[in-house]
Amino acid sequence: MRKVAIYGKGGIGKSTTTQNTVAGLAEMGKKVMVVGCDPKADSTRLLLGGLAQRTVLDTLREEGEDVELEDVRKEGYSGTMCTESGGPEPGVGCAGRGIITSINLLEQLGAYADSEDLDYVFYDVLGDVVCGGFAMPIREGKAQEIYIVVSGEMMAMYAANNICKGIVKFAEAGGVRLGGLICNSRKVDNEMEMIQALADKLGTQMIHFVPRDNMVQRAEINRKTVIEFESAHSQADEYRALAKKIDANEMRVIPTPLAIEELEKLLIDYGIAA
Amino acid sequence: MKSALKTEHFTATQNACKLCAPLGAALVFKGIAKSIPLLHGSQGCSTYIRRYMISHFKEPLDIACSNFGEDTAIFGGGANIKLALDNIRHQYAPDLIGVATTCLSETIGDDVPMFIRAYQEDNRHEGLPALVHVATPSYQGTHMQGFHGAVRALVSTLAEPGESPEPPRVNLFPGMVSPADLRQLKTITASFGLVPVLVPDYSDTLNGPLWTEYQRIPAGGTPVAAVRQTGAAAASIECGLVLAGAGETAGTWLEKQCEVPLHRLGLPIGIRQTDRFFDCLAAISGRPVPDKFAAQRGRLLDALVDGHKHLNGVRAAIFGEEDLVAGLAGYCGELGIVPVLCATGGGEGRFATTVKNVVPEACHERMQVLEDVDFVTIEKILETMDVDLLIGHSKGYTMSRRLNKPLVRVGFPVHDRVDGSRLLHLGYRGAQQLFDRIANTLIEAKQESNVVGYTYY
Repeated sequence: MRKVAIYGKGGIGKSTTTQNTVAGLAEMGKKVMVVGCDPKADSTRLLLGGLAQRTVLDTLREEGEDVELEDVRKEGYSGTMCTESGGPEPGVGCAGRGIITSINLLEQLGAYADSEDLDYVFYDVLGDVVCGGFAMPIREGKAQEIYIVVSGEMMAMYAANNICKGIVKFAEAGGVRLGGLICNSRKVDNEMEMIQALADKLGTQMIHFVPRDNMVQRAEINRKTVIEFESAHSQADEYRALAKKIDANEMRVIPTPLAIEELEKLLIDYGIAA
Repeated sequence: MKSALKTEHFTATQNACKLCAPLGAALVFKGIAKSIPLLHGSQGCSTYIRRYMISHFKEPLDIACSNFGEDTAIFGGGANIKLALDNIRHQYAPDLIGVATTCLSETIGDDVPMFIRAYQEDNRHEGLPALVHVATPSYQGTHMQGFHGAVRALVSTLAEPGESPEPPRVNLFPGMVSPADLRQLKTITASFGLVPVLVPDYSDTLNGPLWTEYQRIPAGGTPVAAVRQTGAAAASIECGLVLAGAGETAGTWLEKQCEVPLHRLGLPIGIRQTDRFFDCLAAISGRPVPDKFAAQRGRLLDALVDGHKHLNGVRAAIFGEEDLVAGLAGYCGELGIVPVLCATGGGEGRFATTVKNVVPEACHERMQVLEDVDFVTIEKILETMDVDLLIGHSKGYTMSRRLNKPLVRVGFPVHDRVDGSRLLHLGYRGAQQLFDRIANTLIEAKQESNVVGYTYY
């Protein structure tokens, strides 16, 4: 079983990219589980055809410790297994602790057991690594490879660089590696070259460049991945290509994060200023 | 001042020379009449503090808890605190509930003042007890910050401005001293014709008589109404030389908000600091020091002269909370004892200057003053030092045993002796008792270590 975590700046398209890629892998016949690690609990909406999931933590809150796997896991598009960690309401409690509790609970319930015959588990983690809880998927070998979703916008690259610093910390202790950058295009000038250059500096690869297409939004409104909604569309093929590249990827590195001056120079050399 | 022994590779605290912040706060709330402390956090916090205080005061002691579990840590403690307040009201019918936070509720960022406001709003027709909140994260500060924070919270939540009645009311913020000390402060103040209001006063609640039946809230303590009246007093006296440098205290709050004149003194330990305390009361009341205290002072001075040969030049190490150590260091200076090491687990940053101000300059060169240190550090330093005597609380016993130096127990906790509640540190009588105990300990050590042993000659 390959354990993959997707990180990236908030709003960059992590959940959309994850679910479309998972749909691509499922189409290839892979058995995939998605673990949403975001209190908003919207990491499996496109695979399940809506926000239909009871989160692990809501179930824990309402039913106590006596939780069954069936209560918190639903089957989505093409046999994918979907779970959402969930969390407290905004401004209350500790969402990070919630992620830790819910991943531990999924383990106890046997969601990762050999008998489940999983090829992949995908963790879709909110925004940045703001506290230990959100680093949970990359601690203790829970995820072995990280893909960072990024675009040519400065703050997205800044976040990606920051996440790499987190990976370095846990790589030494837990063995997690960076698998590559996924560029989710915002149609910024020279975007592909710039992310390619960023990947080079980080010592990794740009595993795929996902072009911007309104089909993604249309599929989202219909609560579906592009692969399910418009299977023949060119954007569906982009996600299939990304799925294939991840499936075949053997490049796992400990990244070399940039100093902030270096990062800004990159933007000047390749970005709008160039 | 950081300890020189805490290097880059050694930063952890081992065997802390301080206790946790909610312990100080809980002790303060025990000093209010018909009051219950409530710790907002997990059960272990209240159990630890109860166990610790019972071992010192030898009294039963209830501390409520909002009982955090795994789910509370995730979803926040709002529901728990409501349930805890309901339960306490129905089971204890208290006049006041003092809510202190714990590391866990502080870390997840529970908005306790908001919870309390919402609870008061939801139950506004019910005749609620006074609810007082103090933030006590223990990863920051010590039990003394919890203690002084709770005193300030009580006053700033409850006090109402007004005119002092006749006879004049005096607010006393005594710091963390023994029930015997509290009783003595009340007697002294009353003998000047003043009405003392102590915040806190746990002299009865934690040092009461034998009961035939269990009492959920022991009798005694300063009534909530009296805490409200601290805003209408002739003066406030705040004890503690280190505390005197703190920006925001109960005393400064009353001075600012209710125009109550504030006198910031040291703990009345030893002769000079006790003289200052008496002078202050004389000035507030306009009356002379009553004769019986002059007599106590006279007897004390006579005893000091009689026993001087036993104490002069003795080297002592003093450890514990900042204000107590500063007070004892000053007294040692008066006795002719050199306080070669003054150490505290607190880290307010004012300790060294305060201690040096009260110890004669001639001693400074031989004296080390250490702030923010643990017992491992203290013991390592003492191994390299010539000392005759340790003065501090019971947590120093293991060190005293290993170093084979006698320990004179003072302050809190004293859980390996029976007289923690009755130890007297303050006033001329407290100074007398300390002198007697120190001198007798030194004489006994000399007798024990002498191959011949000596008796009357």
